[in-house]
Amino acid sequence: MTSQQDLEALYPFLYSGSESGAADVDGVLAEVRQSTVDKAREIVDLRREVHRRDGARIAACGAAMAGRFARGGRLFAFGNGGSSTDAQDLATTFMDPPPGFPPMPAFALTADIAVVTALSNDVGFDVVFSRQLAAFARPEDIAVGLSTSGNSANLLSAFDEASRRGMLTVGISGDTGGKMAELGSIDHLFVVPSPSVHRIQEAQTTIYHVLAELAADGVPGGHPFDQPAPGWAT
Amino acid sequence: MTSPEVRDRKFFDDRVAAAFDARVAPLEALIADAEPVARACHAMAERFHRGGKLIVFGNGGGSTDAQHVSVEFVHPVIVGKRALPAISLTADVATMTGVARRVGFAEVFAHQLRYLATPDDIALGLSEDGRCDNVLRGLEKARALGLLTVALVGGDGGDIARSRSVDHVLGAASTDPRVVKEVHVTTYHVLWELVHVFFEHPGVLTGEVMSR
Repeated sequence: MTSQQDLEALYPFLYSGSESGAADVDGVLAEVRQSTVDKAREIVDLRREVHRRDGARIAACGAAMAGRFARGGRLFAFGNGGSSTDAQDLATTFMDPPPGFPPMPAFALTADIAVVTALSNDVGFDVVFSRQLAAFARPEDIAVGLSTSGNSANLLSAFDEASRRGMLTVGISGDTGGKMAELGSIDHLFVVPSPSVHRIQEAQTTIYHVLAELAADGVPGGHPFDQPAPGWAT
Repeated sequence: MTSPEVRDRKFFDDRVAAAFDARVAPLEALIADAEPVARACHAMAERFHRGGKLIVFGNGGGSTDAQHVSVEFVHPVIVGKRALPAISLTADVATMTGVARRVGFAEVFAHQLRYLATPDDIALGLSEDGRCDNVLRGLEKARALGLLTVALVGGDGGDIARSRSVDHVLGAASTDPRVVKEVHVTTYHVLWELVHVFFEHPGVLTGEVMSR
């Protein structure tokens, strides 16, 4: 049980009766330090939980992605806001990988701001990803959509389009999975069980980094892209 | 699920286990580094309080982090937190590639800072190994202009960690760029959230900030 004295020792600024002076700075710094420690512990625990719940499914998804790349498939990644930066990180992880990994074809559907704003302005924001998939996708390709809530309308329609075209579909969601958890169009769905958007994003980053590692390294003898390849053209 | 052209299932299971294990120690190191994180938050809050903005830059995966940081501050995910001004220098591909062609890639961020920064601002550079010439040049230019300078680095921190132009160096204890990025994401999420804690105690933002 925490005593009043312990609380005062942890958060002296709450009890000092003043909001200025060096003692208060030390108090807030102590609070912020403790909060940093707490958040770092949260993400360690959350990753452990993701590994326990979904480790085997991540392995299976990585193998399926490696299979698509081995057949000449390409990866398309998409998300909104912070998740759009994850989509772009995933694409560049394949295109410009760490030493020892083969580059593979991948593209983030948020990278071309002209296409994104044209589709949003002329048709609607809900179709920004699905229309691009309709233009680019081949059946051997992979679609990876990221959302912390699982409720983004443009992701839901993108998964429907991807599934219709025979793409391997991978969804990375958070909390309880949202509407993404109700779709029949996602082959591999990973839900990070946390109420914190920040912790969800941090664990999602690990999931897609591990998937990228498996997909790139999972083909013995290397990928067709290690040799001169027909390239990007559809 | 496994198709004949890929490795056996045990390979994938073992790699998943190893990958998740590799994520633990660098977070323990971040926990040990809580004091410098707290001091960086305080110094950043002081700059925002004075009317400064945050300017973020990095290469490759770090460029996606720069954009993630800017959206984090401008459009907070937690309802009720105030929007704070932040821009990512990698968002302007036209200027980046133009300066790279005309002057050189090492100068792209320094050039943008020269024309976009004011002395109250904060420069935040990300580098997975601390060896990005353009990030280092950007931080040096920022320091010369009077900005607060913060760097998120990995590995041994490289030239950036050793630079006298950087007020706050926060390291990620890994040499795997993917793990470094994940520690950086946690670090800047914490920086964003805890800058706001200082705003809840405005009295602590009027005094001298111990930025080193």
